[in-house]
Amino acid sequence: LDTGCGREPAAKALRNVDATMNSNLSDPAIWSRLQFGFTITYHYLFPQLTMGLSWFLVYWKWRALRTGDEKYNQAARFWAKIFGLNFAVGVVTGIPMEFQFGTNWADFSRYAGGVIGQTLAMEGMFAFFLESAFIGALIWGEKRLGQRNHFMAAVAVALGSWISAYFILITNAFMQHPAGYRIEASGSLGIASLSAYLLNPWGWVQFAHNQMAALVTGSFVVAAAGAFYALRGLHPTQAQLYLRSGTFAALVASVLVAFPTGDQQAKVVGRHQPVTLAAMEGRFVGGRVAGVAVIGQPNVAARRLDNPIEVPGALSFLAYGTFQSYVHGLGEYPQDVWPDNIELLYYSFHLMITLGTIFILLMAYASFQNWRGRLESSTWLLWVLMLAFPFPYIANTLGWMTAELGRQPWLIYGLFRTQEGYSKAVSNGDVIFTSIGFVGLYFVLGLLFLFLVGREIGHGPNEEMVAGQGEERSR
Amino acid sequence: MIATWYAIVSFMLIVYVALDGRNFGAGMLHWIVARTPEERRQVVAAIGPLWSWHEVWLVGFGGTLVAVFPRLLASAFAGYYLALFLILWGLILRGISLEVGGHINDRLWQGFWDFVFVFANFLLAILFGAAAGNVVRGVPLDANGDFTMAFFTDFGVHGHVGLLDWYTVSFAIFAVVILAAHGATYLTLKTEGPVHDHSGTYAKFLWAAVAPLFLAITVESLVVRPALFRQAIHNPLCWLGLLVVIVSTGILISGLATRQEMRAFAGSNGVLAGLLATGGAALFPVMLYSTLDPQNSLTAYTAASNSTALLLASIWWPVGIALAIAYFVFISRRYAGKVSVRRDNQGFY
Repeated sequence: LDTGCGREPAAKALRNVDATMNSNLSDPAIWSRLQFGFTITYHYLFPQLTMGLSWFLVYWKWRALRTGDEKYNQAARFWAKIFGLNFAVGVVTGIPMEFQFGTNWADFSRYAGGVIGQTLAMEGMFAFFLESAFIGALIWGEKRLGQRNHFMAAVAVALGSWISAYFILITNAFMQHPAGYRIEASGSLGIASLSAYLLNPWGWVQFAHNQMAALVTGSFVVAAAGAFYALRGLHPTQAQLYLRSGTFAALVASVLVAFPTGDQQAKVVGRHQPVTLAAMEGRFVGGRVAGVAVIGQPNVAARRLDNPIEVPGALSFLAYGTFQSYVHGLGEYPQDVWPDNIELLYYSFHLMITLGTIFILLMAYASFQNWRGRLESSTWLLWVLMLAFPFPYIANTLGWMTAELGRQPWLIYGLFRTQEGYSKAVSNGDVIFTSIGFVGLYFVLGLLFLFLVGREIGHGPNEEMVAGQGEERSR
Repeated sequence: MIATWYAIVSFMLIVYVALDGRNFGAGMLHWIVARTPEERRQVVAAIGPLWSWHEVWLVGFGGTLVAVFPRLLASAFAGYYLALFLILWGLILRGISLEVGGHINDRLWQGFWDFVFVFANFLLAILFGAAAGNVVRGVPLDANGDFTMAFFTDFGVHGHVGLLDWYTVSFAIFAVVILAAHGATYLTLKTEGPVHDHSGTYAKFLWAAVAPLFLAITVESLVVRPALFRQAIHNPLCWLGLLVVIVSTGILISGLATRQEMRAFAGSNGVLAGLLATGGAALFPVMLYSTLDPQNSLTAYTAASNSTALLLASIWWPVGIALAIAYFVFISRRYAGKVSVRRDNQGFY
């Protein structure tokens, strides 16, 4: 079983690639990269809330069943509306992602389709079918289904969204750290061991880290809505519920994002992509007792980190477990395997860490105030909570930028370069044209989404009307 | 093994066309069969709760295609580049118009989204129809398995063809009419009152139009790909497919004549499935025919993944489809009978 990042395929990969030409606008691959990057980043704004919010719906439906307290059903009804809008935009922006494997990355699909196609297809069959069959029942079916079945629908949708994440992260993990494959006689990849592929250690760590981050987004949004109502003096019972559930879940999730999942993520990067780790930290020279830069700007031309303030030994400890561990520097590797945008990678990673730390501090303080019974009365804290909700979206995006920029210049790490994967039959002009089309369409879609969600927030949760209420079966 | 996977992938596409085809059809007829805002809400309610369930069959089909026929996906998707993006944008507009149209109880708002809805469904029916025509006619596939295609070239069917020519345009027209007929049959089943009556009338009229159009594209296909027919008459599966079409047509006609709406809709699904299955069987094993040189054609055998990938897919696919059938049973029960706007539509909130 060949799971290593062999040098031979890398050398073969270079056959028609000028590695120094990477991020050049005349390079056809860059436009397909930008298109995929833009559409996936935009798309992922929606599923991250879906995945985070879905467990709030499950929790509230469960509490309502257990206690019979109507406030939980009111909360579930209100958030189900926002969930529905969010889900719809997630579905329509998700379909282009799968298409792009064929349209923009035809050579990648030819090379790796036999492997990554397995999980792409499983995602459709095991996750999307489940989600889409029950989403209508969750949003519109409360009266028709009865409370118990409505709770089951919430569970089905939540499970579906998380299963979907698992399959897509396993696909990504294969690109980060190929496992369970073999190279066929035709030169393309095939599966050697399905279990090794599906149980890719990188995939599980990434799944845990990513799902906790989605929960951070969901809980920040719930808490922000609670703060918004509390500051306006509206819907006090609901506001309290959102604030308390939101800040508690946000604290737990923020801590779990950092430890153990973020910590483990850094360790797998250190183990399998040492070049990436060096670039993430702007380390050009290897050595022991490697520090984590709190501040500093990577200067790639001069091959150094300018104005660094470092925590000594922290990187050695975080990546390899002891302060004495040796951490590789970029200088130890040929430049054609360096990530092609080290500055962006460095800042993405560091900003993500900074935001993650702030999330823990903020939510720890909010939970402390909650424990003292002062959460709803602390005006400035409510302001901060209300305005904080965009930042988990930013942190999630930065995390993905770290993962994907860090993977460069490889499409499949160590096996297949990004430069080899794009569709050679498609012209640059076509890709630019469709990219501009996406920007325009998604801009309008975003306005529409914000307008409608803003309207829902404005209407608030206390409406008596229940979707699907009233009329029974017409015959 | 490869033939089985060809059949499975075709099956998923057929299910997608039968499921989403009703939405395209109903969407194209939206303005005609439903005249007042209340009637239009009825059409939306007939589709609204399930469009995403129907659309994921396309995703399931696409994903399975990547897994078992990666070289087909790579060649076809890159080659049909701009047409595919139009399909994507059409799907986005279709889904969004259904989701947001019902949110605000306002004439202007709903009128606008009704327009987007009708436009997107026409666009999708035309593009999917033209795509089917392209599969039969072939594409300018070179020896590397790549092709680039303009929207149109000289409207001829040989050599360097474009997406649209006289043959694929007739195919698109056929698709518009047969999907509209399918959608009208579905609306007859699901609605009451004026929408039901209008749909019933249009269903008869449209199905009557399908017959001569079918004859026309059959003759056209005979001119474009004569070899296909020489091959098909020796293929028992083609005859079986044709039998399904004939029996389903009988069921459809008797259903329409006796106003047995469920029977008519079953016949409608059968006709669509039978036609697609016959076409799929006739084309096998060629998946993408080259108009430049038949030697360049991509067959199921040259497009398929290696046998391990197919074997693995044979393990999880039956599990996935069993689950899908279970969801299907749940959905059929939950959404059985006529729709009511107050129950199945999105409330104004």
